[in-house]
This record gives sequence, structure tokens and C-alpha cells, in this order.
Amino acid sequence: MILFIRNIFDNIKLGLNTLIVNPLRSFLASLGVMVGISIVILMGWVLEGLDNSVSKTFEIIGVDMLYVTKWDWTGNTNWKFLRSRKNITLDQTEMMKLMHNSAEYVIPNVNTWGKPVYYDGFKFDGFTVVGTSYQNAYTPAGETLEGRYFTQFEDEQAAQVVTIGYNIYKQLFPEGNATGKFIKIGKHKYEVIGVVKKRGTFIFDFIDNQIFIPLNSLSQNFGISRRSLDIGIKAGSKEKLDQVRTETIGLMRTIRDLKPNEKDDFSINETKAFEENIKKIRYTVWGVGIGLTLLSFIVGVIGIMNIMLVSVSERTKEIGLRKALGAKKGAIRFQFLVESSVLTLMGAGFSIIGCLGIINIALIIVKKYFPDFSDVATFFPPFLSPQLVIVASVVSVVVGILSGLIPAIKASSLDPVEALRSE
Amino acid sequence: MSNSVIDIKSIKKVYKMGQEEVHALREVSLNIQQNEYVALMGPSGSGKSTLMNILGCLDTPSSGNYFFRGKDVSKLKDNKLAEIRNREIGFVFQTFNLLARSSSLKNVELPLVYSGLKKKERDEKAKNKLTEVGLGDRLDHKPNELSGGQRQRVAIARALVTNPSIILADEPTGNLDSKTGVEIMKLFNDLWKNGNTIILVTHEEEIAQHAKRIIRLKDGLIETDEINSNPIIYN
Repeated sequence: MILFIRNIFDNIKLGLNTLIVNPLRSFLASLGVMVGISIVILMGWVLEGLDNSVSKTFEIIGVDMLYVTKWDWTGNTNWKFLRSRKNITLDQTEMMKLMHNSAEYVIPNVNTWGKPVYYDGFKFDGFTVVGTSYQNAYTPAGETLEGRYFTQFEDEQAAQVVTIGYNIYKQLFPEGNATGKFIKIGKHKYEVIGVVKKRGTFIFDFIDNQIFIPLNSLSQNFGISRRSLDIGIKAGSKEKLDQVRTETIGLMRTIRDLKPNEKDDFSINETKAFEENIKKIRYTVWGVGIGLTLLSFIVGVIGIMNIMLVSVSERTKEIGLRKALGAKKGAIRFQFLVESSVLTLMGAGFSIIGCLGIINIALIIVKKYFPDFSDVATFFPPFLSPQLVIVASVVSVVVGILSGLIPAIKASSLDPVEALRSE
Repeated sequence: MSNSVIDIKSIKKVYKMGQEEVHALREVSLNIQQNEYVALMGPSGSGKSTLMNILGCLDTPSSGNYFFRGKDVSKLKDNKLAEIRNREIGFVFQTFNLLARSSSLKNVELPLVYSGLKKKERDEKAKNKLTEVGLGDRLDHKPNELSGGQRQRVAIARALVTNPSIILADEPTGNLDSKTGVEIMKLFNDLWKNGNTIILVTHEEEIAQHAKRIIRLKDGLIETDEINSNPIIYN
């Protein structure tokens, strides 16, 4: 063993030598492995970016928030069943607000879609009007870029004021300075009093398309009798979530008059629910990635094995000589395993450099030609994490050893007399 | 008998070629003492190469015993044989068999790599041996930068570097012109004078005449085994 370690550098040099003698052949042989390693690297990189944006998104939704809704966010439950649930009414929301002990805030939300927004003679579509209480200012949606949220007084008075989401701000006021301007939602005139900070990421882009107005104002101008409300419940901390959830479910069942044997006729949504969805995305990326990786590694292993077998038969005489000079079987095996590993490790080196190039070019292209996604790009670093580089290197060595195994055994079991005689 | 390096007792070697059995060595017994200079001669098919391979521990006999410095090596496994080759036997080949892309120094170091010596020790020993064979100024030259004679000297230095018990030279002048051949034979003469045991395998009468004892094989048997009464000796 000590002998092996001592000779590892000699063997690596030898391996490099073989590589250099026929660089094109070596390159072509390790192409499959390079593709495989590149997929591993890019997959890891994509997942890292995904994780970054997911954790950011969770912060935005609020890790200490629960949302009581008629519908289920994750879409796991059957749609017809959900539709048959009774709406959550304003009265129920008010009761919840009065009775809830453990929650910091209980905030009603009601959405209305498809209302056109007018400004400066232009019509804009695709925004969601959210009627909510002034306490929404204490949720992650409350941080403003400019201006402010509406007050309790404005809320109660059904004031015609609006705090707009970031995408609306960008579209309506590309020059900035939205505060004090007037827009029309449907037929109704509203004064812009604030702009919410950008919150969305590519998986949660829609939350920047929200327009916040006092719930009473929405009720007055657009009506809420046929709409189901969402109840946002802020627990105050992640640790209190369990307690708050338990109380919320209990209260909701009481308020909705459910018998003990009846199932909940509402959904409790929280960021946790998304973790399941994110997991699915992760598994999909892994699944596809691993499938492709395995495929290219099979091709890669065959390529390297082939070239190593050629190398063994080309160097039969050298192997015979080494044996005559006292090389044991293990030493010969080791030599060829190091050689194939050097070959794949070099491949990994090229892959790492190549992937660095690919991701940087990709980021530049996105920033230049797809400015809409440029905020997505910020979650994807323009470099590779050390873990990824280590994983790529380890994988490449494992592949190298796997593909070198048969040639190495073949070389080590050559008969020295026969080997020396060969030309 | 204490000075006996090689002691083989009625060894036989049978190869199977399909259904047929080829008796390469029918029954050979031989004793070689320390500091002997022996030439092994014989036409092709005489069993000369087979005997050389067995003497060099590259191959084992089908039957009979081979005592190398008193130790029976006739039934050893591959790795044990490799150890003996590494420590006890210095090979010199007709075609030199140097690693083409390695320097003289690296080539000479190679057996020491397999005996597990540290780089520093390897360097020192290899340098000394190269200087001994007159190539102290060619350490970093690659084989293709050396003449045939110089290449064979590198090979000889490589054979000597582990201080082996015997030097087994297979047609060492076969690929050299006669003038260079003479130089190499002078070198062997010096090595013998310094106490080395040399076994020279050749089919050239003139080369064999350098040895002090000539063994002739024919059809897998020793035909004659005589002291060379009039060897060529260089001063």
C-alpha cells in the first residue's frame, strides 16, 4: 500500500504521458465521460439555483403565515370536491379575528381577477385586485418600495386608495414616482399611495401582479357576496405555527358548524405545502439528470475501457518488461487504473471549464435577451460551488476506475514471457 | 555448495499445443556458482530460451526443482517470483527494452520503484550505476537520443541497480555492430571481474567465447557443459 502511494505520482505522470502521446484519441475517448460529468455539474447548478429561489420565495410568502382557503394551493385535492365547499364569508373572517388567541394577525383577503387597469390612456390586463385589511402591511407583502400601505382609517372608510405590486409599477410607471398618481380599476378611480417591493421569483411571479385596496372598497365597488375569502393568519414566528394551526382548525370548524365526524371543508395552506411541490421538481430534475448521466456514463465507460484495452495491447511488451523487472500484479493494475482515472479526471477538468463557460454565457444571454427573467438569474451563481467541483472529480475518478478495471486486470495477468516476446 | 547461486535438479518443461505435448526441456540439471561466467548456447528449438526463462524466474518448470541460493523457487506464485526477479536477477535483453519516453535515469530507477525505494535513494543508486557504465553525463537523455551501445549500457545499469545475484543477458550484442558489441562484452568482463555472476544466452560462438564455461543445449537436453580453456579476456 505504501508502495502504491509512493508510486502514485510516477503513475500519474505515466498516465499523463499516455494522454499526451495521443491527445485527440484521449479526448474522443473521454467525450462520453465529459458529457456525463457536465450533466452532473449543470444539474447540481440548476438545483442550487432552484433552492436559492425557493428559500427566497418562502420568505416572501412568509414562513410564519397560514392561509385558510376554500381552494387548496397544492392542487392535490380533486377540483369538483373543492368547488362543492361553501365559500368563506366575511362574517366568518370577522369571527375568526375576534376569537383567535394565538395568532398575531388575522387578515382577510379577497381576490378579483380580470379587472382592467387604466392609466394615462392605456389599458392594462392581467392583474389581480386584492381586497385586504390594513394589517396586511405586517405581512411580507407590506414592505413598500415607495409610499405606504393604507391605514386603518382608510380601510374602514373604504377609501379609494391603492398600493400596487412591483410589476404594475414597472408597467404603468416606467419612469418611477407612482405615488400620488391616479389610476382606474374598472370604472373606479384610485389614488396610488404606495408600491410594494419586488417579491416574486420565477416560480412566484404572480404576486408582483397584485393590487392591494381596502377590503371595504373592493366590497363596495366590485362586491364580495359571491366570492370566497382567504384568511391570512400570521403566527408571529415559525415556532408558533403548530399551535396557531391547531387553534385555527378548531375555530374554523366551530365557525363553519362542522360535526365531529365531518371532514374539514377548508384548506390550511402554508409554505410547507410548497415544499412537496419543490421536492417533485427536484426529483424530476434529478430523475432526468440521472437518466442522462447514466446513459452518457455507460457510453463513457465503454469509450475509456476501449481505449485502455488498446493501450494494454499496444504496450504488452512494456508490461512484460515491468513484470520482468519485478512489478507485481497489483502494481500493474494500479498503473492502468491510475491512467484511466487521470484520463477521466482530465475530462472532468474540461467539463468544469466548459460548464463554467456554458452557465456564464447562459446568464449573459438571459440578462440581455430575456430581461423578464433577469431576476431569476440572480439566484443562479455565475460560478460552481466547491461541492459541485468535488462531486464532479470524485465521480470522474470512480468512472475512471470502473472503466479501467477490466483492462487493468487483463494487463496484470499477462504472462511475462509471452508479453516480452510480443512486438 | 554454499556458493551455489543456481541449482536445478532434473527439471522438465512441457508445453501443450492443442492435443500435442512439446517437451521443451526433457531433463536438465545444472549448478552455477557465484561469480561464474556462463554462456548458454544452442540452436533455436534447443530449449535454450525455455531454460533462460526458468533461470530468470519468468517461468516455472513442469517438474523438478529449482533452488535459487538454496531456496526452492520452482513452485512459487507469480508475485513471489516477481519479488525474486526484482531483487536477485538483472535482465539484459537483445532489444534493450527501455521505456522510450523516460530518461536514462528513470529507466534505471524502474526496478527500484518496484522494490519500494524512496525517490532520493532511487536517484542516487541509479546515478551511481549509470556512472559505473560510463553514462554519468547522459542521465537525462531519452533512449532515442542515445546510440545503440549507450542504450545497452543503460539497460545494463538497470540490471545492476538492485545488486542482483545473477545477470541474465539474452543475446546482448544481437542488435549492435561488432565494434559496439566488443565494448559491451568488455563491460561484462569488468562486471565479472568485480564479482558478478553472469549468464550469457547466445547463439554466436564468438560471443560465447567470452565466458569461462559454455553449456550447449540440444533437443531439450544439455549436450555439453565444459570449461572454456581459452576465454577472451580484456584488460
